[in-house]
Amino acid sequence: MMKTKTKTLNQENNELDKRLTTENDVVMTDMICYLRVANISEYNQEVVRQDLLQMVLSAQERGEDMKTLIGEDYKSFCDEVIAALPQKSRKERVLDLIDIFLLSTSILGAIHIVISKEMIDLIHNAVTGQQLNFQVPISLGNLLSYAIILATAFLIVHVIGRNSLKPEKKHNQSKPKKFIIGGAIGGGVMAVFLIIAWVGRQTLFTVNIFAACIFILGLYIAHKLLQKFILT
Amino acid sequence: MLKGILESCILKVINNKETYGYEISQQLQKYGFSDISEGTIYPLLLRLEKNNLITAEYRESTLGPKRKYFSITPSGEKELEVFTNNWQELNHAVNQLFHI
Repeated sequence: MMKTKTKTLNQENNELDKRLTTENDVVMTDMICYLRVANISEYNQEVVRQDLLQMVLSAQERGEDMKTLIGEDYKSFCDEVIAALPQKSRKERVLDLIDIFLLSTSILGAIHIVISKEMIDLIHNAVTGQQLNFQVPISLGNLLSYAIILATAFLIVHVIGRNSLKPEKKHNQSKPKKFIIGGAIGGGVMAVFLIIAWVGRQTLFTVNIFAACIFILGLYIAHKLLQKFILT
Repeated sequence: MLKGILESCILKVINNKETYGYEISQQLQKYGFSDISEGTIYPLLLRLEKNNLITAEYRESTLGPKRKYFSITPSGEKELEVFTNNWQELNHAVNQLFHI
């Protein structure tokens, strides 16, 4: 299985990582972050990571630094590496997105059920011997929060990855400008939460807690099967 | 064009004997290619591998981390023959033009 090979390689690389000097570790982390968001398979990411780790460890033993080994422009180096590798096809990209959807929905769904008021009430009623209600309401707010969490996580990963090898900008922004930017971000986040709280109370539908658990488990199993048999 | 030439030179070094990245860079430097580090040739090795002109295999090294050894494939040998002929033609034409 390709995914098992990827996982094994990942574990071997994590062990090799520990042998890097602090300076080399920082540069390697930045380069791997950049490669993680490139349009190449996870298996090829690990193959390249292994090659780079072996190269850097050999250079370390010879007393050479990363600049002697790769040059000063790490971004160009990584771009050349990415260009030399097979790019993910549209089918592979779609399967990756489906896998992210399956895993994130199963995790967020499980969290939602575990921390929901209905679950706490259910446990309380079961302990005190009161009537049990197995229905969990799903509101518009739940669906909006789910979409926002996914979009934000996706955006954060891509922004960090894409900018990991950019030269550091001088922080020469004026205080009022920083204040305005900070205020706008804070205000935006507040606004989103207010909108969710305002429009999100409305219950769209209710589901039986056991049916929801089976559905979540099904999504997680589908993710595991996809990882084991289809994804590379 | 220069990248293509460097790629063929790497292929030639691998054709001479099965070898690894650092040794290829050392060999190229010995032949007069200045500033060729292992990092410079790594993306080219990946491309040669992707195009099935070379194969790679990790082996334990007595001197430290594992080494990735490269060997030429039959397609790589053919490609090298094509490059040799093209280079002879190009070399002749450029020499004629520059009266070298």
